[in-house]
Amino acid sequence: MGRLFAVEIVYRGIFQKTLAKNISRGIVLAASLEGKPGTSFGRYGDSPERNGIPAKYFAIVATDDLTLEEGMAKYEPKEVDITVCVDDTLCKGVESWAWYGLQPINRLTKAGGTLIVTSKEPPEKLMPMIHQKQDPYKLAVLKGIPSFSGLWVYKDDHTDVRILGAIAKLLPDMLKLDSVKQFILHEWNDAVKVQSATNSYNRITAQNVSPSQGNPEKPFQFELLKWHEMRDGVSIPCIAPGHKMDDPATHATGGFQPARNPTFKKWSTRTMRPVIDFDTCIKCTLCWLQCPDSCFDVTPEGLYDANMEACCGCGVCEAVCPVKDCVTMVNEVAFKDNSSQWEAWRKNKDTYNTWLKGTIANKADRSHGFRYKGQYEEQTPEMLEIAKSS
Amino acid sequence: MAISPFVEIDATQKLDPFKGVKKIPLEEYFTSGHRTCQGCESALVMKMMVKAAGPRTIVLGSTGCMYVANTTYYSTSWVVPWMHTQLGSSGSAGLGAAAALKAQMRKGKMKKEPINVIAFCGDGGGADMGLGAISASLTHPDYNFLILLYDNESYANTDIQLSGSTPYGAHTTFSPPGKMKRIMHHRWKKNTAGMLAAGHPECKYVATVCMSYGLLGMNCIRKALEIGGPTFVHSLDPCPKGWDYDPYISHELGELAVTTGIWPLYEVENHTLRLLGKTKEIAEGRYVRQPVRDYLMKQGRFAHFTKDDIDYFQSKVDEMWQKWLIPGVIPMMKDVEGDKPPAE
Repeated sequence: MGRLFAVEIVYRGIFQKTLAKNISRGIVLAASLEGKPGTSFGRYGDSPERNGIPAKYFAIVATDDLTLEEGMAKYEPKEVDITVCVDDTLCKGVESWAWYGLQPINRLTKAGGTLIVTSKEPPEKLMPMIHQKQDPYKLAVLKGIPSFSGLWVYKDDHTDVRILGAIAKLLPDMLKLDSVKQFILHEWNDAVKVQSATNSYNRITAQNVSPSQGNPEKPFQFELLKWHEMRDGVSIPCIAPGHKMDDPATHATGGFQPARNPTFKKWSTRTMRPVIDFDTCIKCTLCWLQCPDSCFDVTPEGLYDANMEACCGCGVCEAVCPVKDCVTMVNEVAFKDNSSQWEAWRKNKDTYNTWLKGTIANKADRSHGFRYKGQYEEQTPEMLEIAKSS
Repeated sequence: MAISPFVEIDATQKLDPFKGVKKIPLEEYFTSGHRTCQGCESALVMKMMVKAAGPRTIVLGSTGCMYVANTTYYSTSWVVPWMHTQLGSSGSAGLGAAAALKAQMRKGKMKKEPINVIAFCGDGGGADMGLGAISASLTHPDYNFLILLYDNESYANTDIQLSGSTPYGAHTTFSPPGKMKRIMHHRWKKNTAGMLAAGHPECKYVATVCMSYGLLGMNCIRKALEIGGPTFVHSLDPCPKGWDYDPYISHELGELAVTTGIWPLYEVENHTLRLLGKTKEIAEGRYVRQPVRDYLMKQGRFAHFTKDDIDYFQSKVDEMWQKWLIPGVIPMMKDVEGDKPPAE
């Protein structure tokens, strides 16, 4: 038997669908130029995709047809040579359509395999987010702002070809740089894209990750009923009514906290989170009322605390808030846990406000798709500069 | 309006309008943990719909995003009872559930009390496939239920196929703009609410809403449930997935749909038409309609539009406001006879 190669691309649903397809398709078509057959497919269970909810593409390449057929006789690969993670916030874990519970980003990465992450952050900043893995593997960071666009208009910032260049370097047995170059010329006829791929090939480095490195937390899991355990009529219990909230400082009760779907938290969909200035809040209700995910808990004093287990980071709260800097969306990479901001503020307002100021001041720019015509053209030069220089 | 003595009308819940955003109850009956997109305005409609209706409510949902994403395998975000129904059958399900409650209460098998029945559908399930069933159900004055159409202007659940509600020129899976032909969808959007209001004399309430104006929308839903009989509410929901925009601007796009005059807000209560909110201000000349360009150029689905396309879109919206018999509601021209006198 020959050799089978598998690559998974973990991406943000819809936002990075075209990007993931370009990478996966590029791997297979470039490898075919070396006489290796392959196939590229999106994971069925992730469809229909939703904006931000993590999804997967797979590229399978083999040295001969029979090996490919053998490899394809599975629903999806059990392990992959390379995991490509095109948004660094996915390093916190993945709760997809296809799965209940949180999966580590490196779950399928095989021993000695490589995890490639696109990020502006250095590896030491990403490492604490990535769950520990029993086997050693490698981590490679492709420097760049995670590329987000939408279903119809694609932001062509060369992330796709830069990933292909990096893969050629990290797994040369599957793919050589020459085939990647040839594929790019055939597909886009763009010498600058070829240069971006070559630069990334020349500069990408991978570092070893040992089993002791990373986030030691056990990812949350759910045991759902099997078909023979279901109730009559395929019925399930409703969500319970909510309850009042408890003030950690005074133990006064009031406000309202809704009960929530216990088996889907949605926070792994989040790439930014709202941070709230409780001192400037005028209690206008708009963030709470307009939140499509009902993520705001109403506190006993009538403030609104975004619950970080439920928030998916759409940013509507920031958009509707009439007070300047009262709700600010901040890059999810800046946070270590999902604890309540309101409780922290109630416990010590000075500490909280110092933290708040620092967090807002250091917020990284992220872009989540189309806001106006011409926006992508304004944004791509920065990324092309990174592609040239790093 | 005269009501036949043979019609048996049951009492409905007393649902006074919320007097302001601060009077809206804190309780949620559609809660977190649904797998909708970031910034999904249809999920917001579900939340506000049941918030307006209150705890004694049964919700029925035909296939679409709000079925698939909200109740994935053995999980739910509903606090009130919810049941799935088939893609084109929100009308039948709403009528059937209301009739079943009525029969159960008449036979003494259930405590007699007014229970809200709401059947929702998307634009595919409601404006296209389910239109016949909705029309039939709106002719039954004996049963109290509301049909809510959440319109994100495409079959969004299955990755954005074109529906009868898709606006002119929009990019969908079925209408990708090409090099030879730029505009692959050249039909104007179906006027569902106006058609249902005009065509169903037994229906006591039809309204159009947009949840960017949440309080107004919730009060329309309360009125629809309180007034009794079969009622219909049509909501326009910006969809970050299909309209291709940053979820951050979901709320703003809803406002723009109204302020540009593309989505007029109105209610037809006991056969009396009333324009609402910003739409009323536009009609009374107190607010100037914004150019449609401001709305179109914020969405990737219109990114292929040239100036000519924008001008055409604007001219059609102007027509809605200047030439329709009732601006934005009934697409019959007032000046037809003047322009082309009937042959003598």
